[in-house]
Amino acid sequence: MKTIGFLINPISGMGGSVGLKGTDGLYEKALELGAEKVSIKRAEVFFESLGLVKDVLFLVPSGEMGEDILKKKGLNYEAVYTTKGLTSREDTINTLKRFIERNVELIIFCGGDGTARDICESVGTKIPVIGMPAGVKMFSSVFAINPKAASDLLKSYLDGKSKHKDSDVLDIDEQSYRADKFKMNLYGYLKTPYVPNLIQDAKAVFEGQDEEMAKEGIAVFASEFMSDGSLYIVGAGSTTAKIAEVMGLKKTMLGVDLIKDEKLIASDVNENSILEHIKNEKSVKLIVSPIGAQGFVFGRGNQQISSKVLRKVGKDNIIIIATPQKLENTPFLLVDTGDEELDKELSGKTLVVCAYRMAQRKDIRKD
Amino acid sequence: MEKTKILLDENEMPKKWYNIQADLPKPLPAVYSPRTMQKATLEELSVIFPMEILKQEVSQERWINIPQEIRDIYAIWRPSPLYRALRLEKALGTPAKIYYKWEGTSPAGSHKPNTAVAQAYYNMKEGTQTITTETGAGQWGSALSYATSLFDITCRVYMVRVSYEQKPYRRNLIHLWGAEVFPSPSNKTNAGRSILKENPEHPGSLGIAISEAVEDAATHEDTKYSLGSVLNHVCMHQTVLGLESKEQLKMEDRYPDIVIGCVGGGSNFAGISFPFLHDKLKGDKKDLRVIAVEPQSCPSLTKGVYAYDYGDSTKLGPIAKMYTLGHDFIPPGIHAGGLRYHGASPIVSELNNLKLIEAQAYHQNEVFEAAMLFSQTEGHVPAPETAHAIKGAIEEAKKCKQTGEEKVILFSASGHGHFDMKSYELFLHGKLVDYEYPAELVKQSLKKLPNIKED
Repeated sequence: MKTIGFLINPISGMGGSVGLKGTDGLYEKALELGAEKVSIKRAEVFFESLGLVKDVLFLVPSGEMGEDILKKKGLNYEAVYTTKGLTSREDTINTLKRFIERNVELIIFCGGDGTARDICESVGTKIPVIGMPAGVKMFSSVFAINPKAASDLLKSYLDGKSKHKDSDVLDIDEQSYRADKFKMNLYGYLKTPYVPNLIQDAKAVFEGQDEEMAKEGIAVFASEFMSDGSLYIVGAGSTTAKIAEVMGLKKTMLGVDLIKDEKLIASDVNENSILEHIKNEKSVKLIVSPIGAQGFVFGRGNQQISSKVLRKVGKDNIIIIATPQKLENTPFLLVDTGDEELDKELSGKTLVVCAYRMAQRKDIRKD
Repeated sequence: MEKTKILLDENEMPKKWYNIQADLPKPLPAVYSPRTMQKATLEELSVIFPMEILKQEVSQERWINIPQEIRDIYAIWRPSPLYRALRLEKALGTPAKIYYKWEGTSPAGSHKPNTAVAQAYYNMKEGTQTITTETGAGQWGSALSYATSLFDITCRVYMVRVSYEQKPYRRNLIHLWGAEVFPSPSNKTNAGRSILKENPEHPGSLGIAISEAVEDAATHEDTKYSLGSVLNHVCMHQTVLGLESKEQLKMEDRYPDIVIGCVGGGSNFAGISFPFLHDKLKGDKKDLRVIAVEPQSCPSLTKGVYAYDYGDSTKLGPIAKMYTLGHDFIPPGIHAGGLRYHGASPIVSELNNLKLIEAQAYHQNEVFEAAMLFSQTEGHVPAPETAHAIKGAIEEAKKCKQTGEEKVILFSASGHGHFDMKSYELFLHGKLVDYEYPAELVKQSLKKLPNIKED
């Protein structure tokens, strides 16, 4: 018997249709405006597509956060936490505690970036997570494209056909977003299952390998070409962090670091600090990986690498890296540096290093 | 009325192969043994190759007889037709005259049997009971299994595991012609076993398959190894392509301005171009342009270095001077599987070094677009490898449209793509990835070539 945790954030996504740009702290207002409970509908689609599954016990919170729908679908479940009145972030966090106590092997949630963030804080990468998209904001790459895809993923997981990868958890500051200011942060990572997509005649080893091996290949290659004496500004993310790991350096996963001659020069630097450090350098290069589900190279989660920094570094010295798995789900890359002219300059065909000594040609577009 | 199809009679088939080594400005750089790091001797190589093949490998004779027994078998599909691509020309609106040598008519559907039959024949003559080889997607493995079946020789094919599992049709063809085929890494050899011990799920690679086939040949009596490209004798066996094309063009009173072939190991390119390069080397056709087309993802001639390197990733084969991306380079899984080789034939490399030929590299999607146009105009569905040559020819024909020149363009249509429909499907659905070799970034990391001091 497999034990899987399932939870719905019932208010997730409600703010969207009524123009609230997220529902954090605005549930009542959303209800007033006549918002529908999007996430519960999404969960219905998920279970319809899933059908009956054998040998699985779903652990759920009570009421509309989980129990109601499982009961309706006639699936094997156990309510492990009782919600009282209006559901809140507290309920999500308490439910997750129960999940951990009961050693669930997988967590499925229906929500948005806010819910992903709560799970990230409570669970980290200890337990794999499948995200079903229901929020207003879904910039994180933890989400399956739709509830049907989420149910297919669960089936593959149950059949033992899936592998795991780290997925970014991003969230924007809703208060400033409502004021039309866009500030997005990278909060951390969740472990998500995925189904390796083998291409018909993939004779290459790297297309059949899992994402961690791909990261390793990219990192080994990077560690080789980074020995050219340049100062490297290394962006956020697990792919860039792998480079430091290969070099035996400790990099901040969520921040921007500086590396030169295989030495860590500075950690978690901000815009000013970067500008200060590169002021007198002969050669400065930049390594970044697209962050989040939309494939942003600049402007999401790494605002430290500002347009000022980018202009100083120059387009030719930007090296983009990403795993084939990530690129497969990202038809094109995006830039939003806040500098219209620069975005234009950065747009067009570019090479993205995707393996040891290999790159893919990708399109960069403006937001 | 322009002719569409130019045909030769069976008795007009070439009676000799052309050996370009006789006409090279200077002898090819020596080949070294990976074991001793000294110049490789024929005795050393004779463990895995028959002596007659080795003699051809180093021969300086310009013309080498094609034995009657081989010509009798060639007659099943040779001389192959030379087509005038009238409909492609019309679609392009080009004044260029495009001809293609169609090798898709052979039993295996490509140029590969031209050398497979010759190699099987010489092995039979010297009493070889079994031939081993490797194959990626199965093109070469199927050609050799066909050839060995003609001479009652047992054939053991080590097929890269992912292809073995995912490309069943070529594998079935190998079986049909009576050869044994194993997914590599296999438990048949020490090389395979040691890899499986580390990772029982290993997807395999061409380098591993080569080591298995070589080990199998070296450790069994009356067993030899066979390679489907790269080596000098293989290039020579393929010159029937160019020799026939030359006769066929002569019947139309034409001589090519440009000759084009795709390059993986280089034997197909050698086959179509060497007989014409013969004229250029003699000084007769100084303006002849010869273009090698390769994938952007594996661009050894355009972006590699000319250096001594191992022929295979396991460093078992001889070390030769060639354009290389490094023997440890693993090309990505592009759909032109036959062009995924880290190096290139030493002769083709030397010609490139001497600037007697040019090289061009294209991306996967633009190559498939060319293949689609070719299929829709000429009807024949080309193999993805062949499509590289088509792309090269189309680009030259477009230039003629701009300049108004009526150039004669000849390219080798090396094989059909009937087993590559999955690749076409992915292309049609926009799912093909454009891989590109990051040459600048790699420059700093090409430090792993063997250290050979030339005399």
